Amino acid sequence: MTRNRILGIVGVAAVALATGFLLAGQVKAQLLTPSNQVARYQALVRSVQDLEKTNESSRAKIAALRAEIDALEAAAAQQSAGTRDLQNQVADLRAHAGLTAVHGPGVEIDLGNGPPAPDQGGGIGYLVNYQDVQDLVNLVFASGAEGVSVSGRRITPLSAFSGSAGQVVIDQGPPLTAPIKVFAVGDRNRLLTALDDPVSLPGLRARQVRFQLVITVTGIPDIKLPGYDSSLQIPHVSTS
Amino acid sequence: MSAPPRRSAPLGRRSGRAIGIWLIALLVALVATVQIRSQAEVERSLVGTDTTTLAFLIDDLHRANDALSVETADLTQRKATLQSGGSPAADQELTAEANRLRAIEGLVPVHGPGIVMVVDAAGLQSLDLQDALNNLAVAGAEAIAVNDRRVGVGVPIVQVSGGVSIDGELITAPWTISAIGDANRLAEAADAMTQQMRADRRVRQASYRVETVIDIRAVTTERPYVYANGS
Repeated sequence: MTRNRILGIVGVAAVALATGFLLAGQVKAQLLTPSNQVARYQALVRSVQDLEKTNESSRAKIAALRAEIDALEAAAAQQSAGTRDLQNQVADLRAHAGLTAVHGPGVEIDLGNGPPAPDQGGGIGYLVNYQDVQDLVNLVFASGAEGVSVSGRRITPLSAFSGSAGQVVIDQGPPLTAPIKVFAVGDRNRLLTALDDPVSLPGLRARQVRFQLVITVTGIPDIKLPGYDSSLQIPHVSTS
Repeated sequence: MSAPPRRSAPLGRRSGRAIGIWLIALLVALVATVQIRSQAEVERSLVGTDTTTLAFLIDDLHRANDALSVETADLTQRKATLQSGGSPAADQELTAEANRLRAIEGLVPVHGPGIVMVVDAAGLQSLDLQDALNNLAVAGAEAIAVNDRRVGVGVPIVQVSGGVSIDGELITAPWTISAIGDANRLAEAADAMTQQMRADRRVRQASYRVETVIDIRAVTTERPYVYANGS
């Protein structure tokens, strides 16, 4: 009886010890790691937020400097017909490069994510991605758009689209996420016809059916596009 | 002789066991709650963005902010020159600006370091070419031509019955893509692109070479605005 009791106590103690070790291991592996993950993640998020603030203030500074330079050039143009002529040429070139704000008739295209639904590859097909935006911008330019902006970012001849996981990065701007608003100034009827064409934007349309991505196109009589507010440097190019 | 209270000892043991079980249950519940909350916190904070994506984002933002700093310094310098120089300084600044913008818009021939990529394929679409050009633009391409046709955002690249056309002109295989910019960054992008292309069954050959001087003679046509007006 006593021997049995001792054996029982030893058994219970062994099981308790094993449970304790298991519990400790679980706590170490599963509780502390997520806490560290959260801390690391929050540190990364803070870095992104700080960089985005710097980015925003730099772009505001660039816009202000361009306005000041415009004013100084205009003042100089008052003094000389040659300077005035040069200023007009540059104004036209700046407008075509997207550096100045323009307005006119055109279309508004709204892109929205579909309801979250992992596709077969565990992908993110329901999210609007940078290639959707790139295809859309190329389509409207091919359909005669004279100026395009994407969620407030003006497109230039050197614009580049990148991003991942539903984020759209255009040039040196911060990442954009859906809903994305694309404005295009140009021949409204031609733009609407191109956007209504079922053959255009095959990737986007396929995902519109499969993932219920939202694409809304509206003709607008007068759209305002902002001027480009980032860098347009070409340090490696020389003119012949 | 009264009998010992037979039920008192088992009752005490039972209460002890019950308390033990409750304590264990409480501990398990506590551990489970902390675990679930930690996991939920991670999931809540990771809405749509994983740490790898954030790391790439940080890298992109650093690069973007560096470029914005360079632009700010350049504009500050130009402003100072205009403030101090009057009309002659303005003429000089405006002439330099006009030349730069003509190069950006593809209106004048340009040269500089970069890469030349050759893609020989059958059945590639306009979207494939647009993707390739965008990849080079992301890698900092400052001027690009395809088969001696100047391209850039805004130059129409469309699918036509015979293949792909650039600004209304059909381009045939092989595609020779010349890009001027930081040769190292462009080479890195071209390397990844050609590797990916070689895995595509439609592609017979994809290669690139780095050049110290690439001459792009092709220019785009100036299109006057019809619908857009200055604000």
